[in-house]
Amino acid sequence: MEVRHVAAPFFSPGHSLRGSLHGESKVMATLLSFVMIGPRALPANPTTVIFTVLLLSFLLALSGCVRESDITLEQRSHQLGGELMCPVCDGQTIDGSNAQIAVDMRLKVRDLLDEGSTNAEVRDYFVLRYGQEILAAPERSGFNLLAWIIPVLIVTGGIGIALLSIKNMKKSGLESQTIDGPSIAVEQEQNDLSHYLAQVDRDLGISSGTNLSVNSNNESDEIDDSSETTTSEKANS
Amino acid sequence: MADLGVMALLLGVALSAYCAIGVVIGEKMGRAALVVSARRALYMTAVAAAVASGALINAFVQNDFSIAYVADHSNTLMDRAFVWVAFYAGNEGSLLYILLTLSVISVISVWFAPKRLARSMPWTIAILAIIQLFYFGVLAFVASPFELLDTVPVDGRGINPLLTHPGMFSHPPLLMGGLIAITIPFAFVSGALIAGNYGDDWVDVARVSAIIGWGVLGTGMLLGAWWAYTILGWGGYWAWDPIENVALMPWLVMTAFLHSIMVQKRRGMFRLWNVALLNIAFVLAQLGMFINRGGPVVSVHSFAASTLGAIFLSFMLASLVFAFALFLWRMPQLKSDRAMESFVSREASFLINNFLFLAVMVVTLWGVLFPLFSDLARDVSVSVSAPYFDRVNGPVLLGIVVMMGIGPLLPWRKASARSMKQWFVWPTVVGLIAIGVLIALGVQRPVAIFAFGVVAFVATSIGEEWWRGTTARHRSGDNWALAWWRLVNSNRPRHGGYIVHISILMLGLGIIGTNFYQQRTDGALALGESLVLDNYRIEYVDNGGSSRPDRIAQWVEMSVYEIDPDDYKQEISFAKAQGSSGFTLKDSTLRPNDELIDTIEPWHGFYIDFNMASVRSGIRSTVVEDLYVIPRDFLADGRVSLAVSINPLAWWLWASGPFFILGTMVALWPQAAVEKRPTRKRLKGEPEGDI
Repeated sequence: MEVRHVAAPFFSPGHSLRGSLHGESKVMATLLSFVMIGPRALPANPTTVIFTVLLLSFLLALSGCVRESDITLEQRSHQLGGELMCPVCDGQTIDGSNAQIAVDMRLKVRDLLDEGSTNAEVRDYFVLRYGQEILAAPERSGFNLLAWIIPVLIVTGGIGIALLSIKNMKKSGLESQTIDGPSIAVEQEQNDLSHYLAQVDRDLGISSGTNLSVNSNNESDEIDDSSETTTSEKANS
Repeated sequence: MADLGVMALLLGVALSAYCAIGVVIGEKMGRAALVVSARRALYMTAVAAAVASGALINAFVQNDFSIAYVADHSNTLMDRAFVWVAFYAGNEGSLLYILLTLSVISVISVWFAPKRLARSMPWTIAILAIIQLFYFGVLAFVASPFELLDTVPVDGRGINPLLTHPGMFSHPPLLMGGLIAITIPFAFVSGALIAGNYGDDWVDVARVSAIIGWGVLGTGMLLGAWWAYTILGWGGYWAWDPIENVALMPWLVMTAFLHSIMVQKRRGMFRLWNVALLNIAFVLAQLGMFINRGGPVVSVHSFAASTLGAIFLSFMLASLVFAFALFLWRMPQLKSDRAMESFVSREASFLINNFLFLAVMVVTLWGVLFPLFSDLARDVSVSVSAPYFDRVNGPVLLGIVVMMGIGPLLPWRKASARSMKQWFVWPTVVGLIAIGVLIALGVQRPVAIFAFGVVAFVATSIGEEWWRGTTARHRSGDNWALAWWRLVNSNRPRHGGYIVHISILMLGLGIIGTNFYQQRTDGALALGESLVLDNYRIEYVDNGGSSRPDRIAQWVEMSVYEIDPDDYKQEISFAKAQGSSGFTLKDSTLRPNDELIDTIEPWHGFYIDFNMASVRSGIRSTVVEDLYVIPRDFLADGRVSLAVSINPLAWWLWASGPFFILGTMVALWPQAAVEKRPTRKRLKGEPEGDI
């Protein structure tokens, strides 16, 4: 049973797999060992354990989402219920309301679906009787199109402004870079503090000797704070 | 008691007016003594607010129904513990609560304000005093909670039944407190700008006070969602209701601010932008206050509605004009120290993240205002509710989560191709594996699968950084736990942020699971009958009730069985043919593989005076999914009608709360000596840059 799910997963969407956690956990174990072991074998440690537990539970939790695909009429009526407002409740859909009219409307939705209506027909049925207000989201036509288009403009415009302003900030920087006072001050501060910081490192049990040797071959230091002062000095000269 | 309260409010009006005027005149004329005296007046306003609040609470304790507010929001049957809830259950009381919070946090923040802000403090105090004056004025002259009734009723009306839930002890106060707390960073920054203090002196105090308000507001929203999920009986937790939206909007802007303020702190950039964000957040908080109090939009929260709308609208517009004018006035002075160096840098990614947060905020605002707009423009009423917001905000929120995985891994200034490769290989690989595994397992819904992949990507990016930092420290001698702890402590704002990010991922899991994979069915059961949905069988085994003069309560006891669908093949195929997701069984005999896993007791109460039902759902919660049973109604024939749903991953929504609070606290914890350490040489594998 379990093996079949894992082996032919694409062909068994109609089954809930929660009953066969066994198969999943096998997949997950493989995945996890791959993820956690990484490029070289690593000893277990709290971070890995915490992280593994977190990831494992994330993945385990996902197994609740393995669901069947064919939508029943009941699911459709719930879906539609979430798209129709309850006329007497403030800001609730009929799906979420216990008011009598919501109960009646839910039954009506189900009746219409049983008769073979499409979702659009059900919506139209209610719009005809209650007006557009009955729809939880405005229709994508006519004036209401504004409701849908403006968000797209806002988001694309927002990203556009962000990118443009980054570009501008890059340009304007070229001019002002020559009088970059603060970073020199930072450098002096660094010099003043270096003895103290070395002491802090020793106190924390991080020997400064190993630091430096480790540091020298660490590529991430290409963009170290100290390089900042070098660039600005270059700019100054 | 009422007299004492009224006097305290009037005294508060006088004190805050004196404070505002005194501090400005004292500062302008150079009279230090006047400034000191005005500052003390500000301290005294907290006392006045506390006395007024004490008077109101005492009136509730004494059942003093001669006070209209007490008679409207409590009765003798009310559990005394709910006095605290009744205090802010209505309009007047909630305003008093907001004022109390504002005055107390004003005193604390003015008292502990750093010395280097001395020059701008008079202006900060003036702004705080003016805002307090507004609230004292409204409470004293327009919406007094100490209004007396001509004829004293024998008993009060009672507390709103929806509020009698443990969550109500904390959700409203946290939410209101969080909204008003945005005033503090706003006052500090505005004060500094008025005084011409353009440097970064205000950064730390603004950041700390903003995090506190933001954390409180976020916790308040989460508790509200939890309350809705357990008691409102509609099966959801977030409805994109206008009131929820007006709390969410300032929170989003504050979230953007908390990120970009780090850029100012570390790199001296984005000064103008940060001021703008705080101004927007403050104005949005005022919009929230306005819409909460008789605003023009309908909401499930409208129990606090009133005619105060116009007053709060004016105050909101005034704060908008003030914030905007101040911003324009000081704009030329707010320059960045440094330039942006690359599109691929942390500061650039934070700017993009900021714009995404703002985009969600503006889109949400547009959705809230669209019905008004439609009414005005063409006289047609429309509704804008959850399906709209899910559709327009969902993709952008997912984009923000993607940025959450990218931004923190990028170094300040400029990322090299090599470091990109070094940091992004694992998250990408794990994200893709997660997507692959989900597809292989036969999980449906492509959008949700992609979203799960994004969650895995971000989780790996955080795990990767913790892993590298911890191993680096472990190699220099610490044991693993200590190494991780020291890593977190080496840069609390950054690692606290990561903990918050984890909580957001957990929230994301819950949102994806419940939105994309919920299963539902309705049914009516008589005693002994069962309802089957997916692989749960719920049997109605017992019921009971209790009545009080003000409410009729009924509960049902149900046994939850886990079933093997193979035992029910016939019924399942029959139900499918009928178009139903679930089915009922008349027969109470169990099938071979039925296993009793839980007993739940949904509860249904009807409050006669309020003509209102209050429902406590029966919930069996596991890490994987919640079985969620709402008793909708008790039918005349003795059956109980139920709405049953399976909400995958809902547990994660609430589990995220403690992480959110923990992360916020870690980020807030004072850095002390460690503060000065960004210049320390980096250990191998430790992340570039600091946040």
